[in-house]
Amino acid sequence: MHSVIRPNAWVALKLPSGITKVIQITPNTTISLGKYGSFPANLVIGRPFHLTFELLDKNPDENFSRLRVVPSDELYAEVFAEEAAAEGCATSAAGAGDAVISATEGEEFSLVDDNGNVVARSNREILDENARQTLTQEEIEELKREGNNAGKDVIAKLLLSHTAIDQKTSFSLAKYKLLKTKKYIRRFQVLPIDVATFAQWQLEERDASKIMDMRAEMIGLVGCWGNVHYSGEESKLPDPKVSTTEGVEACVELEKERLKGRWLVVDDTCGLLVAAMAERMGVLYPAEEESADEAEEQAEEKTEDPQADSTAADGSVQQNGDVEMRETTETTETVPVGKKQPLKQSRKSKSGPRASDFAIPYSQTNTLTVLHSSSQPNLSLLNYWNFDITSPNHAPHPLLNHLLNLTWLQLLKPELDTSYSTPPPTATPEVLASWKPSRRGNFHRKRRRYARIRHIVDNTRAGGFAGLVCASTMDPISILKHTLPLLSGGAPVALYSPSVESLAALADCFSVPRRTAWTSGNVPEIEGLSNEELEYWQGNERFPLNPTLLQGVSIQTSRARKWQVLPGRTHPLMTERGGADGYVFTAWRARPAEGRIEARGKFKRSAGKKGGESATPAGETPTTAEGMQHDGAEEVLVKRKRSVSSLATELAMTEKVAEVTSPTKKRKSEDGNLEA
Amino acid sequence: METEIPRSNVTDTMASTTTNQSPTVSPFLDPGPVTKVNSLAILQLSRDNLVPVYLEAPKGKHDGYAEGAVVNTRYGSFPHSTMINVPWGSQIRASKVDTGSRGRNKRKRDAADDAGKEAKDTPEESNTPLPSNGDAGADAEVQVKKAVADSSGFIHVLPPTPEVWTSSLPHRTQVVYTPDYSYVLHRIRARPGSTLIEAGAGSGSFSHASARAVYNGYPAREGDKKGKVYSFEFHEQRYHKMKQELIDHRLDDIVHLTHRDVYNGGFLTDDGKSPEAESVFLDLPAPWEALPHLSRRNPKDPNDKTWVSPLNPKKSAYLCTFSPCIEQVTKTVSAMRRLGWMDIDMVEIANRKYHTSRERVGLNLCFDRGVNNSARDVDEALARLTEIESRFREHAAKSRGEGESDDDEEMDDDDAIAATKTKGGKKGNKKGSTENGNSTIPDNEEGNVSGSGSGTAPWMEGRLITRGEPEIKTHTSYLVFAILPREWTEQDEAAAAARYPVVGEQKVIGVVDKAARKKERREQLQKATLGNRKARRKERDAQMAVTEAA
Ligand SMILES: C[S@@+](CC[C@H](N)C(=O)[O-])C[C@H]1O[C@@H](n2cnc3c(N)ncnc32)[C@H](O)[C@@H]1O
Repeated sequence: MHSVIRPNAWVALKLPSGITKVIQITPNTTISLGKYGSFPANLVIGRPFHLTFELLDKNPDENFSRLRVVPSDELYAEVFAEEAAAEGCATSAAGAGDAVISATEGEEFSLVDDNGNVVARSNREILDENARQTLTQEEIEELKREGNNAGKDVIAKLLLSHTAIDQKTSFSLAKYKLLKTKKYIRRFQVLPIDVATFAQWQLEERDASKIMDMRAEMIGLVGCWGNVHYSGEESKLPDPKVSTTEGVEACVELEKERLKGRWLVVDDTCGLLVAAMAERMGVLYPAEEESADEAEEQAEEKTEDPQADSTAADGSVQQNGDVEMRETTETTETVPVGKKQPLKQSRKSKSGPRASDFAIPYSQTNTLTVLHSSSQPNLSLLNYWNFDITSPNHAPHPLLNHLLNLTWLQLLKPELDTSYSTPPPTATPEVLASWKPSRRGNFHRKRRRYARIRHIVDNTRAGGFAGLVCASTMDPISILKHTLPLLSGGAPVALYSPSVESLAALADCFSVPRRTAWTSGNVPEIEGLSNEELEYWQGNERFPLNPTLLQGVSIQTSRARKWQVLPGRTHPLMTERGGADGYVFTAWRARPAEGRIEARGKFKRSAGKKGGESATPAGETPTTAEGMQHDGAEEVLVKRKRSVSSLATELAMTEKVAEVTSPTKKRKSEDGNLEA
Repeated sequence: METEIPRSNVTDTMASTTTNQSPTVSPFLDPGPVTKVNSLAILQLSRDNLVPVYLEAPKGKHDGYAEGAVVNTRYGSFPHSTMINVPWGSQIRASKVDTGSRGRNKRKRDAADDAGKEAKDTPEESNTPLPSNGDAGADAEVQVKKAVADSSGFIHVLPPTPEVWTSSLPHRTQVVYTPDYSYVLHRIRARPGSTLIEAGAGSGSFSHASARAVYNGYPAREGDKKGKVYSFEFHEQRYHKMKQELIDHRLDDIVHLTHRDVYNGGFLTDDGKSPEAESVFLDLPAPWEALPHLSRRNPKDPNDKTWVSPLNPKKSAYLCTFSPCIEQVTKTVSAMRRLGWMDIDMVEIANRKYHTSRERVGLNLCFDRGVNNSARDVDEALARLTEIESRFREHAAKSRGEGESDDDEEMDDDDAIAATKTKGGKKGNKKGSTENGNSTIPDNEEGNVSGSGSGTAPWMEGRLITRGEPEIKTHTSYLVFAILPREWTEQDEAAAAARYPVVGEQKVIGVVDKAARKKERREQLQKATLGNRKARRKERDAQMAVTEAA
């Protein structure tokens, strides 16, 4: 993350009302804070994050507000006064209630200025004088318009004239004052848009449903339980340097042993999950060169096209409008428009000779592979980190070579996917030379796309993933059915869901009785299947998943409860955002031992023999056409909008599931360590 | 409780370890595909029972076992030799071990330990490592016996991660668990490449999680700035234990542990340099005593030019303190305010684990654990009551026929009912095992039985329910977060002002009035439809490209 606010960076403006606005800081514009006023963006560009700025009154010879950094002592002046009062109150027991707010000598309320001087105070005499609130709404408005002393005068006036002050408890009094403070003091902070800040804003102020109500607690848990972390320097396959006459056969072969530190992701949070995981892997923010920070800043300022970027992030955030006063633009020296193009090109040339069509741009390590159910992944929120997956000519971004994406169809039935199954075009250099540039461009694009898709599909199907993280509206059982075989042994699985039901249904697939039954040797449908076949077990109603493929299945929820910490008034907040709490399912990919395994501890030997005791219940009828029934039933059972199984229906239809005969009826679950 | 994972001369063999890939990378950061000798592995006995083990090469008889080092669990014995070079996540079968010279007494002790372990089998306390191996290589000349599979049970071998480590590590202090540290690390922005200060190190739970968070490669050469954790601990024994642990886990290049009292000594490196941290985590009894050291300038003398701040001078610092008591919070927050920390925010994390099970209620379910043999619904209750009533009437009619006195009748009635009821109840319970008994209630009466006979597998019977685990941690600690912006001097401001002069700003961004917003919405809508059209065109193009190619 950057050390200062950069031109064209996405930032969050925290306003005194507690509201956050996310904007892109465009140089040479005016940033409006609504009723709090406006100021030139250039006054915060190049300045640090998290400082508290205050809008100053306009200088007589200027038509804009300058900013002042508010020292922390000033921000905390009231609390310090309260602390002092509380200390004083500890010695004089009488009138403790009144003394909480007042400073000393019977002052009930005081407003302190920058230097710690008391600007306004309301003592009993004044309150007695003004029996009722004397300020009218018009007077307040007028005061605001004058902009005197950043609204403090208004507060002071209100304080001075507010009558009921002595009737209120110190608690409500503080609240009342705080409200007024929030309303009129023209202060704000600039926060960097990182995952934590962004997610909180999206959740609390924008649209929680877009990110499936995923709270910070959940983001943290999923990331940790998924063991998502940086795992190795970028490592690319060598460019095969093929000529345009070569086709499929010349594509780069996968080198399995080079694949390392890859995570599978299913993301229905519009890219927030991907962003959070990318942040943990160090591929969300462009690399930082501390020493070159300043120089880079300069360059970036010139290369980035503010217009192009402003359209990127989802809609209504970027709010452009007209300004009343028109000014000449002759003085805009800082962003020389003419220089944009050459600089961009010079950047490109830095990256060396042009790669051939079949060169694979993706790293073999430290990657995220996103599986998506529509033809394009919805990762629109990544725009806030200047990444646009749909952009064909993207400015350098670490996600470009660390984010791979493919559809469920490409994963499960690649032969049905046109871009995977259509061989790349070939042409001799002579023919190529005869074409118009646009046709030539198209030709190369097709070849490049083919090579990439082929690589992604083969790479993903090769398996060996280091973990799976999901925040999806799809049925998790269907997701795991197809992703479990792709995980390497011991790889963690961490699934987020806003509600517990789908995760519980998933956990139930791994319940002790189900596992016991599976390993009992009395499951006709799996008899004779090899371990590999069992890994790719496509499931039936009785065993939607191979219950031995996960270990340590667990579901949890976490909730951060916020507290107010003030002298003598520390307590949990009275209200907080409701909505989904969120749940996380965690487990590890297990590699079951070949053959039958007894599941019991030393201490339990008496459970009896299999078969003998397990009577077949009467009325047990063998189910036929199990496979098809299963798919239908599953969809009814767990109502999910988009289920993988519906997408790959053909697969399920063709799948042969052995007829189910009498299952072992009353096998005692031998607890043992099956619950593991 | 100060405990230790049994390991025999792991460190001296460590150097000679020939691992096929990345020998210096911690198994926490890259465990490789298979388990390795002399490396940490976590044995999962049951869901919450994890045991860390350093896998030892079978060098010969070990602690009396002919198979070399052995881990004994209630699920059987597991020689290390059966767990080396296997893919992570593997299920490992128990082995029949040859105790040979191993004394009976020792066995007994093991059993006792096992039992004790079982009794308090909660995630926090299951950390007593199994006394499987002590002095290794005592009689190394003896041939290692090949392990023979036993049917007593199995375990799984997991790669170490901070999560499994946290729930299996040897406790030397209270530790920070995953629900807390996952949230803390997210909020203090610990990311690859970050520098993080931590005090005190304690048992190293937080250290392991933060090492993973900041890791972005090992420093290749001197002065190579990579993500790093500067950890401090003043308790000497803990310091040494943890130092060894970091070496064993090959995290010593990422976690820099210093033996120091941070209240007095602060957070600089031993040679007085600044770690230049952006993230700070304090799990200390009195954070306010340590806070003054975490300033930008000497809090006692802002003009002290010799004072060095441990914080990164160019970035905001994110801080979290972790304190169990509210009084500590009050003092900490007060100190934070006076030291200029912003955005002070206090939260408490409530984490709950859920257990899923099948709730099986019904009179006609087979007798099994977890079955509630009471009526599943009103219909079932009604059917049974009707049955009982009719039986009672039969009984009454019979006794009346036998000419019993009216006085006794009422009492008898009650008795009869009670008897019938108990009988009925018992009947239901036993139903599964006594099919042949002349049951009072029809066993498989059509219509109102729970689907036990209808072909549902027993593990699918009943309603799927979730409930909180029996024991919950209702309070761990209060987390206080705060941010300290970088210092911004008048010179800095002047430089920035010169670089970004205020010019004739035209466009307004941010919060605009209603009219402007409306206008903008319109524009956006237009753009959106345009975008859609563009996307559609793209798709069409792609289609065409495909047909063209075909
Ligand atoms: C609760 S433990 C920390 C546990 C640790 N966070 C973990 O997750 O394992 C607190 C540690 O701080 C250490 N400590 C207390 N005061 C200290 C001081 N002034 N300087 C350094 N360490 C201190 C104690 O010795 C103790 O080991």
